[in-house]
Amino acid sequence: MTALDGIQAAATVLLGLLVVGLLKSHADILRQLHELGAGMTEEPRRPVPVDLAPGSATGARAHDVAGHTPDGEAAAVAVLGATHDTLLAFLSSGCLTCNGFWDALGAGGDLGLPAGMRVVAVTKGPGDESESAIRELARPGQTVLMSTQAWFDYEVPGSPYFVHVSGAGGLVVGEGTAATWAQVVGLVTRAAGDRRRRRDREQADQIDQELTAAGILPGDPSLHPGGVE
Amino acid sequence: MRISAHGLDIDVPSGWEGRIRKGPHGTQFRSHAVLHAADFPLSEERGDFGSGAVETMGAGHAFIALIEYDASSAGTALFASGGMPRELRTDDFSPRQLQRTIAGQAGTQRFFVEEGRAFCLYVVLGSMAARGHVVPRVNAVLPTIRIAAPIPPEQLEAM
Repeated sequence: MTALDGIQAAATVLLGLLVVGLLKSHADILRQLHELGAGMTEEPRRPVPVDLAPGSATGARAHDVAGHTPDGEAAAVAVLGATHDTLLAFLSSGCLTCNGFWDALGAGGDLGLPAGMRVVAVTKGPGDESESAIRELARPGQTVLMSTQAWFDYEVPGSPYFVHVSGAGGLVVGEGTAATWAQVVGLVTRAAGDRRRRRDREQADQIDQELTAAGILPGDPSLHPGGVE
Repeated sequence: MRISAHGLDIDVPSGWEGRIRKGPHGTQFRSHAVLHAADFPLSEERGDFGSGAVETMGAGHAFIALIEYDASSAGTALFASGGMPRELRTDDFSPRQLQRTIAGQAGTQRFFVEEGRAFCLYVVLGSMAARGHVVPRVNAVLPTIRIAAPIPPEQLEAM
């Protein structure tokens, strides 16, 4: 063995010790972070859409929601066949992002959603969620249902997650996640506006088709009984 | 959707919602189970007889409350009727039977004993004028309500 080989071997040993030390230090940091609660938030189990635009389940049949309120009432909430739209807010007590939504929903007053839309917060059932934690997060007057079945029915990937159901059609018209309540309001409002414009356009097209079928074309005098100015 | 609690059970039809609770909402005479069903969104803060909810109902809506009283009431004259009525007539409703008068609304109250338990069935219609349309929908819900016999105290202790 030459002197050069000896130096290389010593350097390799030193580098190995350095790597082991770094790994140990990294493990210590991770353990301490874990003890402080970092990384405890519930993360979605699969990628989720980033807004309430039409998603994979859009157009799917909606489900009524039955479970318990945090106060222990047995409860069934009408989603299908309701005369209003419903925004289901799937939240949990262990998700840090959800805290802002609990605060926003509990603040009361005008939530900024389209008129008549009802918001129902849905957590997992008492077997999978802390009833006492939800009781602390939910404010008086807020509709909160604890139902693991609802999470299965709507294939919720994680919290927070929002599902917009059209009461009249009984269909999911939008779903996804968001970081703030303002984002949810903006997305729901825009989606409602888009649907209204699409409906108006379809109605106008249908009227045009019926007039054409009756032989009434653009410029026909019967369309302007008072005469065209 | 079927919900059950405290010996009460209801098959909630589509478009309706239901709640069953037991708790400190009533007086000493009404500290037992309470069932609510309605075809409009039920507010979370409701009195046993629907205060907080009936104020928000529309003309075509209905509210059903089944309120349990203490078993000792079962032997009194007020609760002489046997069994819950599963069908109501439009003539049964009157604005005078409302717990709290709200213009246009009508209600009915029936006191009865079933399975040894004393109850009041209280139904509110959003509009007396629309009773011909709304009472049949109420009558479609009432037969889905089931009342079980009370659980003996010794069994409750063992649970």
